[in-house]
Amino acid sequence: MHALVAVDLHIIWQQVFHPHSVFFRTLWATVYISIISQAAGVLLGLLAALARMSRFAPLRWISGVYVWIFRGTPVLVQIFYIYFAFSWPTLHFGFWTVPDAAIAGIVALSINEGAYMREIIRAGIDSVDRGQMEAAKSVGMTYGMAMRRIILPQAARVIVPPLGNEFNNMMKTTSLVYTIGVFEMFAFAEQNYSQFFIADYFLAVAVWYLMLTTVWTFIQAYIERRLAVSERGDELSFRERLQAAWNPMTSWARGGGG
Amino acid sequence: MTGAEIVMHAEDVHKSFGRLEVLKGISLEVTKGETICIIGPSGSGKTTFLRCINHLEKIDSGRIEVNGHLIGYRQRGDRLVEDSERNIARQRTQIGMVFQRFNLFPHKTALENVTEGPIQVLDMEKRHAVDKAKMLLSRVGLADKVDTYPGKLSGGQQQRVAIARALAMEPALILFDEATSALDPEAIGDVLYIMGELAHEGMTMIVVTHEMGFAREAADRVVMMDDGLIIEEGTPEHFFVAPEHARTKLFLSKIL
Ligand SMILES: Nc1ncnc2c1ncn2[C@@H]1O[C@H](COP(=O)(O)OP(=O)(O)O)[C@@H](O)[C@H]1O
Ligand SMILES: [Mg+2]
Repeated sequence: MHALVAVDLHIIWQQVFHPHSVFFRTLWATVYISIISQAAGVLLGLLAALARMSRFAPLRWISGVYVWIFRGTPVLVQIFYIYFAFSWPTLHFGFWTVPDAAIAGIVALSINEGAYMREIIRAGIDSVDRGQMEAAKSVGMTYGMAMRRIILPQAARVIVPPLGNEFNNMMKTTSLVYTIGVFEMFAFAEQNYSQFFIADYFLAVAVWYLMLTTVWTFIQAYIERRLAVSERGDELSFRERLQAAWNPMTSWARGGGG
Repeated sequence: MTGAEIVMHAEDVHKSFGRLEVLKGISLEVTKGETICIIGPSGSGKTTFLRCINHLEKIDSGRIEVNGHLIGYRQRGDRLVEDSERNIARQRTQIGMVFQRFNLFPHKTALENVTEGPIQVLDMEKRHAVDKAKMLLSRVGLADKVDTYPGKLSGGQQQRVAIARALAMEPALILFDEATSALDPEAIGDVLYIMGELAHEGMTMIVVTHEMGFAREAADRVVMMDDGLIIEEGTPEHFFVAPEHARTKLFLSKIL
């Protein structure tokens, strides 16, 4: 009965469909670390992109050094350094406690992600016609207002697809913070494994990661379709856009009309 | 011209891009209600001059004033220093600009393109801005395109929205940079007609154009630029009947 690859279906079934309540805590940790790190990474990337385009040379240098360092070194090294080199607080929000290691992990992942997002955001801003900034300035907008209201909304359609891929990566990369003691999804599997020596815990957690990334794929496709619809300039109401997003044929049909 | 209110005053404006001197000392005065047409061969610095007037380009020396206010700079002692971004932005609200390539905001409807400046920059109440934008859009013949996105408008329609967008700011001066060069023949007529109407209604306009028919009909004064300088200036009659300068004659003979 000993096959080369022994899959214990019972464990998988149980871990995937009837996980222990502790598991949900770790699932939640993976989700919130991913979302916060990605959001902060986008923000840092935006700041770094704006710094990169600044007229003030030191800001451009800082932006360059930032990207150079954080894309040029392993994220695992960054996580360890940031966790051990500084002391991080444990935060409490009512029932929700974010341990110091999770804070350090989020900080490390955010800074690392920002370095990648800078390039993506810069490419998005570069894709917008230069005449847009000039037209915005001609109606009296400041640089910041023009960025916010005119340039970035147009850059979004170029930024969103790679941003979605970044988030997909982020959800998987969060598993690295288990190494500094964050009790997230992978740590849960690892803990069970070291207790029972059953490798199927890893298979089960893989299924959970797969579910997360798959759900995200659908959300991403939905957002991208919505952006594509508004880019075509159809005169659609919000409801029609929702429908169009689910059914590409309707938006094509509308898009064909004069 | 004494007594007339001066809207735009340019004095010995110089501008270089690196080693290339594009404006070599431009002086021009535009009084309220005047329509000035700037003509001249490609590369003579017409676009650059317009862009200096609303400080999309910095000037190297000289001065430009609109409604008596120095544009882009502040006087500090006997030196000029660049003004704050906020002040420059405020000055630009007084100077409309219509581009060769329209530059409408593609993610906003025709109406939103027109209301964007008044609401965001002038803090106009939304309802008021919308009413006004609808009025302006119907003036340029686009009452039925209010909710249409630029991507669905023809070039001529887009340029008319761009004119409405400029008008919505109630500027003291509108700059047109070859506003019809990117349009097909029928659309050119529509846009020139609107520009002609504005000129007759007393809007102060500086129009860079190759449309000599428009210059003859609508201009109060025509200015010929060549190689970064104004080489001849006069009434349309002067230009089209008896131009003085050899380069002007040559240019007009090519274009007419
Ligand atoms: N941003 C720029 N950088 C470098 N050279 C420029 C720039 N803008 C314009 N020029 C140059 O300045 C000269 C005048 O250009 P322009 O003002 O566009 O002329 P016109 O509008 O009369 O055709 C041209 O030789 C052009 O190549
Ligand atoms: Mg030009």
